[in-house]
Amino acid sequence: MIAPAARKLFARAAFVVALALVGISGVVWALWPNYAGVRRGQADAGYLESGDCRKCHEPEYASWRATFHRTMTREAAPENVRGDFERDNVLEFDGVRAEMKREGDRYFVLLADARGKTQRLEIDRTVGSRRMQQYLTKQGDRWMRLPVAYDLQQKRWMHLNGSFFRPDGGAYTQHVAEWNSNCVFCHNVKAQPGFDWDRRTWKTEVAELGIACGACHGPAAEHAQRALSPLTRYGWHLDLASTAPTGVTNPAKIDSDRALMICAHCHGQRVPEPEERIRTILSTGDPFDAGADLRAFFRPVQADTKVGEFSFATRFWADGSPRLTAYESQALTRSKCFTAGQAGARITCISCHSMHGGDPRGQLTTEKQTNLACTQCHEAFAAPTRLAAHTRHAPNSRGSSCFECHMPRVVFGVMAAHRTHDISIPRPSETIRFAKPNACNQCHQDWSVNRALAETRRLWPKADPGEGAADSAFDVPEGLRALFAGDAVQRALTAAAMHPATEANGPLLLEALQDRYPIVRYFAANALAATHPELPKPDYLASAPVRETTLRTWYAHWPPAALGEARAARERLAAGRAEADVEVGE
Amino acid sequence: MTPLVASLLRQAWLSLAGWIAFGLLVEGMIGFRTPALLDDPIRREMFRLAHAHGTLLNLVLVAAAICARLEMVTLPPAVAWPLRLAVLLMPVGFLLGGAWHFKGDPGLGIALVPLGALLLLGAVAQLGTRKSDS
Repeated sequence: MIAPAARKLFARAAFVVALALVGISGVVWALWPNYAGVRRGQADAGYLESGDCRKCHEPEYASWRATFHRTMTREAAPENVRGDFERDNVLEFDGVRAEMKREGDRYFVLLADARGKTQRLEIDRTVGSRRMQQYLTKQGDRWMRLPVAYDLQQKRWMHLNGSFFRPDGGAYTQHVAEWNSNCVFCHNVKAQPGFDWDRRTWKTEVAELGIACGACHGPAAEHAQRALSPLTRYGWHLDLASTAPTGVTNPAKIDSDRALMICAHCHGQRVPEPEERIRTILSTGDPFDAGADLRAFFRPVQADTKVGEFSFATRFWADGSPRLTAYESQALTRSKCFTAGQAGARITCISCHSMHGGDPRGQLTTEKQTNLACTQCHEAFAAPTRLAAHTRHAPNSRGSSCFECHMPRVVFGVMAAHRTHDISIPRPSETIRFAKPNACNQCHQDWSVNRALAETRRLWPKADPGEGAADSAFDVPEGLRALFAGDAVQRALTAAAMHPATEANGPLLLEALQDRYPIVRYFAANALAATHPELPKPDYLASAPVRETTLRTWYAHWPPAALGEARAARERLAAGRAEADVEVGE
Repeated sequence: MTPLVASLLRQAWLSLAGWIAFGLLVEGMIGFRTPALLDDPIRREMFRLAHAHGTLLNLVLVAAAICARLEMVTLPPAVAWPLRLAVLLMPVGFLLGGAWHFKGDPGLGIALVPLGALLLLGAVAQLGTRKSDS
């Protein structure tokens, strides 16, 4: 029997507790976020910003924050601008003087041409933060890419004419591009260009600048709304079917082909399907959400793809394999690793790459930077003896690296040579048949293709290395032949493969600095400077007479006979080559 | 000293000793850069909360016992037991919630925390109203 006084006391305490609970509930209710209504009525309805995701997914937020995906597009603020606007901040190119200046927290480019015409452009946004940083200026309702950019690898200002496969002599502004209709789609989350076809105006918006959570996980508003309740969250943790999470995509848990499409949305250049869809894409926005079927909206660009009269053929090797970056999906999906797998449960990007771990440069964990990336499936080659028997090279040598032979660096992008994702068997004959660099000669540059073929037959008698060439050009060391007789992509990749320069290939690289394509000269200059940092680095963007002045200091370091041979070889091999300018994807 | 006060003080000092020892353990794990704690933000936060609540609430228990000993408040069983239970449940809830937890959320042990908090609130409210009666 409870005494009346105690009962009264208990009732008062219960009242205080109830009052507190009501008060707490009221505050929680008043501050209850409404994620479900985010961006309602827009193409990016339900897309949250990374800061919202961070509230529950701090480790994932932190790992994403370290990536170059995050910094793909940023506002031009001191913490984002990587170019040198204060010291080495002038670029003279093609008669135009560009001076990059910082004024407080604002950034400007001052252009002055030979006729005295000047232009002062304010930088509004930055694009890229790893190899190069490009800059956007706002003109009315459009953001325009400036022709000058900062090379983060070489720590210098550059002109975009030097980063494309075009010869000297192009217009200063030929690579000025409109962000609203181009870059916006892959460098941000859920682009909505907002083009008014009647008034020809733009009202461009994105769910978030840069490549953030929404790009890979889709609209998460419903997921976040439900996750506000701890009961729902614990239901998910305990795998209670009635509370299964919805409305958000986890690439690691979906059909592997759909997971690949998430990456292919940007790492697999595409055109709208049907082509007329471009009208709605430019007006209302990109229709693709992570987890959806990309083929419902787009078709991947292939060698035979045309838009009007424009052909994409030069972006591919003659065998159909991509030779530019941003086509990794096209490359992977033609590999046997992909085609031999079971649809929906086969190799995909995240079989090797980690979006939330590893080195942001390549998004590969330490483990996946080694043969372990391949031996996770090809287990037999994990044993060194078996590996050596397979490669016929020493187990710890470059020749026993899966990547070197099956994913050679035959792809160009963003001022660098990249590994192909067309995982294939190395065949020297591909150079003869498709004018494509082959893995064997990427290392053995002093061998001819025909010698590489002969070695292949000797080392792997049961393999089919393909036919040799009757053309005597393929009896010439391939480093020499490709550097002068190949097209600009081959020449650039060959110069990149010669990095750092050796005593033997130094004269060849000096000759490559006579190339008409600045991008070829870029790789040649870098290879030479890596070996001889004490010498003045040739400026790949400088005019021929200026370059020649610099090169004279280099010629003294090689015997005149070697230099003469290199010059004769260049003149002989370059005479017969056919050029094909490549429109690098933007 | 009444048996109740003596019992309260015994629980408080022993628990305090336990949570101080736990604090030493956490400090040691931080000092020796133990990945199990430093690489796990949820565990780190839960353990910090367990240590803070364990020590402070047991000091509250000591204070309550002293107040009762000095007859500043009366501690009937309806107040004393919820108080003693709350002082136990809250830090233990944080400890368990951090020791075994889900991705992004504390483990189920965290359910002890709101239970303890309600008991604590009820007990303190009773103490407050009783004080105003006297």
